[in-house]
Amino acid sequence: MSGGDALAIEASGITKSFPADYRLTTWFGRGGKRGARRTVLRDVDLAVGRKEIFGLLGANGAGKTTLLKMLVTLLLPDAGAIRIDGIDAVAHPIEVKRHVGFAQGGERTFYNKLSARRNLEFFGTLADLDAADLRRRIADVIEIVDLGDALDRPVMSFSSGMRQRLAVARALLGDPPILIFDEPTRAVDPVHALELRTLIRDTLARTLGKTVLLSTNSLEEAWSCCDRVAILGAGRVVAVDAPEALVARFSERRRFAITFDSCAPGLESRLQALRGVSNVEFRGAVALVSVELKDRNFTAMLAEISSDGSVIRSLRELDDALFDVFRAATGVEADA
Amino acid sequence: MRSPALRKALAILARDARISYSYTWAFWMSLAGVIGQAVTFYFLSKLVGASSTFSYNGRSVPYYDYVAVNLAFLRFQSAALASFQRAVRGEQLTGTMEAVLVTPTGLSLLIASAGLWAFALTFVEIFIFLAVALVLGLDLSHVQPVTTATFMLLTVLALSPLGIFAAAGIMTFKQQLPTGLLVGGIASLLGGVLFPISKLPPYLRSVSWFVPLTHSLGGIRGAVAGATVWDMRGDALWLAVMSALLLPVSLVAFARSVKRAKIDGTLGDY
Repeated sequence: MSGGDALAIEASGITKSFPADYRLTTWFGRGGKRGARRTVLRDVDLAVGRKEIFGLLGANGAGKTTLLKMLVTLLLPDAGAIRIDGIDAVAHPIEVKRHVGFAQGGERTFYNKLSARRNLEFFGTLADLDAADLRRRIADVIEIVDLGDALDRPVMSFSSGMRQRLAVARALLGDPPILIFDEPTRAVDPVHALELRTLIRDTLARTLGKTVLLSTNSLEEAWSCCDRVAILGAGRVVAVDAPEALVARFSERRRFAITFDSCAPGLESRLQALRGVSNVEFRGAVALVSVELKDRNFTAMLAEISSDGSVIRSLRELDDALFDVFRAATGVEADA
Repeated sequence: MRSPALRKALAILARDARISYSYTWAFWMSLAGVIGQAVTFYFLSKLVGASSTFSYNGRSVPYYDYVAVNLAFLRFQSAALASFQRAVRGEQLTGTMEAVLVTPTGLSLLIASAGLWAFALTFVEIFIFLAVALVLGLDLSHVQPVTTATFMLLTVLALSPLGIFAAAGIMTFKQQLPTGLLVGGIASLLGGVLFPISKLPPYLRSVSWFVPLTHSLGGIRGAVAGATVWDMRGDALWLAVMSALLLPVSLVAFARSVKRAKIDGTLGDY
């Protein structure tokens, strides 16, 4: 990941603070007279390669949205440099905005009394599309997000999931090479969240070849969508790697769901007694087992479990190992 | 083939028109209010007899002719003072401020276009007002179209900076400033809207020279009385110089207010 040309997004030494409170000196003072400030990001570096799906993971208030807004020029950094597709974001904000589509989270980012079509026509025109391109692009992006039936309905009648998909459509209008999503599945039900993740991963990144940077506080989202994840904690990037590599680095613990066809008497206590097993929880014929795999032969452990006559039907690893990574890296209890 | 800037300006105009018309009752009631004002002042003017006090370009006119023209074109000042800050406030309240600012569109174009619908609607309101006043006896037979158009344009250009300054205030302080009350009220008092400036005490008369509305309405009244732009060159020059000075300064002030909001993280706040 070295060399400027290989990077779609590059941020170095980013520091950002906000006024701790608002008083006259906040607006009119200069330098040190502008009052106390609360530092949100400290010396943050970020490098996202082209066509990569990169996740920003952090607890609420970790600075994820602040960082994203600086990348799309909605905020100015106190210090540091940001380059989008090699363009200096602070010096050339208009040019940078032609390279990035930004899908904000939240309910209120559209003109609610206007239809989805009117909203897309407006934002598409501001994204430099002429009339002919606009019609074609609206048809394309609406098909991608599957909102064709709702195109002429006022946005005020849209559900949260539909608004999120419309926000994705808006971000795609100008066909930018880089897409930035701020908590794309926040306030979206699990079914539509899965649809959105599939859309981001399979359609936008894999099929259309977009670079995707998304912020999330959902471990599941980071795990299932992202090629690499940066964990933000206390205003700093505390770890960056592939989700699997992070798990390997920060946590040797794995959780498995073991389904038994038959359980020999005393199975639960024998499971508890196995070396490396830290927790066992039975739900009917399914045992949820937490195992420290360090220095442990997993095949041998399974043989031990079935040695008393218990029959294992299936074994599934639970993908919540990132929770431990998050906790270990940030010292924060995740809300996922 | 339209330029990108023109396409964007027209898109902003169309958006504001659609949103305005989506509040159907408020839209039609505001136009009905224009008719009401024209009729109300017709009856009020009956209390004031014919007098040479209300004369311009060498012609004495009835009070209704004087006040109707002033009230019609006073709407430009109201539109200028209110439209830009209403646009910024609207984006803050609907939550679309950041969505608009993340598009590759210059700030000057965004804020300048934000007043287009208000001015377009003001043209319609002026037309309705004058049409009603015409029925009630307003004499428009001497109107100089070129002078009228020139002063309408100069009025928009000279008064818009006040509105853009107010928009910068909203961007910074997140609340509507009493610009309309302060600037609008004082300008209406000193600008000769309801009575000629000659009726003011001398010290206020000299203050009124600094009020854009004085020159705007003076020029329009002259145009209605048949004066050419050359006849009204004093007022025209005053408005042109103010436009040239204040317009760039107001745009810079707005850009600085947005920059400040980007530094403090208050762009989307309200």
